[in-house]
Amino acid sequence: MMIKFVLHRLLWGAITVWFIATATFFAMHAVPGDPLIQDKAMSPVVRAQLEARYGLDKPLSQQYFTFIGNMINGDFGISFTQENRRVNDIIREHFPVSATLGIAAIAIALVGGVLAGSIAAHYRGQWPDKLVMFMVVAAISVPGFVIAGLAQLIIVKLNSAAESTVLPVAGWGGVNHVWVPALVLGLGTLAYLSRLSRAAMLEVLSSDYILAARARGISGVSLFFRYQLRNALLPVVTELGPAVAAITTGGFVVELIFAIPGLGRYFVQAVQQLDYTVIMGTTVFYGAFLVVIVVLVDISYGLIDPRIRLSAGRS
Amino acid sequence: MSVVAIEHLQLALSGNQVLREVSFSLEEGECRALVGESGSGKSLTAMCLLGLAPPNAVLNAEQFSVMGQPLPAQGHRDWRGWRGRRIAMIFQNPMTALSPTRTIGAQLSECFRLHRNMDRRQARAESAALLERLAIPRAEQRLSQYPFEFSGGMLQRVMIALAVACRPKLLIADEPTTALDVTVQAEVLALLRELQHEQGTSLLFISHDLGVVANIADTVSVMYAGETVESASVASLLRHPAHPYSEALQAAMPRLHSREITVAIPGSPPDMRGTIQGCAFAPRCKHRMAICEDSPPLLISPRGAGVRCWRWHPDYPERWRLQHD
Repeated sequence: MMIKFVLHRLLWGAITVWFIATATFFAMHAVPGDPLIQDKAMSPVVRAQLEARYGLDKPLSQQYFTFIGNMINGDFGISFTQENRRVNDIIREHFPVSATLGIAAIAIALVGGVLAGSIAAHYRGQWPDKLVMFMVVAAISVPGFVIAGLAQLIIVKLNSAAESTVLPVAGWGGVNHVWVPALVLGLGTLAYLSRLSRAAMLEVLSSDYILAARARGISGVSLFFRYQLRNALLPVVTELGPAVAAITTGGFVVELIFAIPGLGRYFVQAVQQLDYTVIMGTTVFYGAFLVVIVVLVDISYGLIDPRIRLSAGRS
Repeated sequence: MSVVAIEHLQLALSGNQVLREVSFSLEEGECRALVGESGSGKSLTAMCLLGLAPPNAVLNAEQFSVMGQPLPAQGHRDWRGWRGRRIAMIFQNPMTALSPTRTIGAQLSECFRLHRNMDRRQARAESAALLERLAIPRAEQRLSQYPFEFSGGMLQRVMIALAVACRPKLLIADEPTTALDVTVQAEVLALLRELQHEQGTSLLFISHDLGVVANIADTVSVMYAGETVESASVASLLRHPAHPYSEALQAAMPRLHSREITVAIPGSPPDMRGTIQGCAFAPRCKHRMAICEDSPPLLISPRGAGVRCWRWHPDYPERWRLQHD
């Protein structure tokens, strides 16, 4: 049953990815200009040679089928702007950086959000609740790039006050490079998840089974983890798919501000320079990645809530 | 020694006196029913016996003890040894009283592990044995199922299992059959009675259904507007209700083989937000007298039971009392 469900979802995922690829391909080619337009003027002969080399002289439909054929073989071709660099290599080298940042951000958002939401729910109407809700509104309202800038400013002040490098302001390398950008990246999601888990937790707290569990003498840590958290977690898990998407796209901006050599930076650059192969490669890759994440999230529902039985017909 | 001794229990929720005067006792092996319409304070009284009154509750009592020991303050740490161990409760709706995301076995064996210090395997074996004792077929397999895979009647058996797992001295059942099909009701009642005799447990049975009460209880306390207005044996309450409210309740009971039309009680219970002067039932009472509106009735004990009504006062004209004896 489970295998059938996963295969079914993956098949639909493949169709989704094909659709993303096709739409992006034609949209990209509809944008005026092409990757060979540069600052310097180019002689028609050189231009014709380059076009022939990259296959841009062929009709668009033929270019499309060539691209799809290569894509199925897992080959996205060579970058236009970074000579002789294969798109596959770019993804292979830089995606792990983005993934590290993203996983850290998701982890911070999930743990922080559920914790903050649970605290707010347990102290409903009292100061911890008001504090959490105020922070949530602030974190949702202030855009990520402002928070990123503020975070860097705070680090600079901190470092100069300590007269040493407590935390690096930007760049990539050690564990210390991850915390701040991951927090900035995950903050919006964290805020959203705290609201969600607060509402879910409030519902759980007022339920009969919590009262019944307390009447059986269950209290403290086991009451929280076994009864309250487990039941409050389901709506949060439902939102994890969209949360991953938000953090993936948010990663582009955060990577630029913190000068992190992740895939997001290449994605943004490629769009600006109309680097056809890199655009296609990164888009299709992110599309496929999100499809897999959504399937994983769907599977995790069944692990958390036994009432949800995975069936192939569900989508 | 009484298992439960409650005298003059009062409870206020944000300034509203919702329990005004609750007094009753429960002997060992006895089943006392707590009867009254919704909002009369039956369930709240039960919650107080588990230390689970709402956090803003202010509780006051002359005596409030179980097995001779005064109960801790509501919400206090000291409830640890009481809940689930010496006092247990069966809830009204078994469909919502179990965590939907944990197996029956996990929730049941948790009780054994928590209160009887068993290890995992022992607790599971004990759980299976208990379910079997409660006539749940294929008990072993059912342990690894979730609440949504059970029917209502089966779930209520599980709830009973959860409650009696640690052989509590006091078992509170809050309308345990109200959410069940009529055909299942009788089975669950029979099971409860059987277990009560087997374990020598005292049972506090909360219900609004006098028919069910007649079936299971030895004694009854009738509650009205946060007050126990009459306590008596089941037989005497059903045959000769002393309090006008008990009388009205009894008259409102539907009867088989009778052409009598059941009589609804006119009016509605008092608003608990205000202070009640005199007898709370006075506005709806057909025997109302001038004194009923001024002074709350004292507890009067004809025939060794207790009734809170001026009509049973020694100074009340003799002919009335005779009519009821």
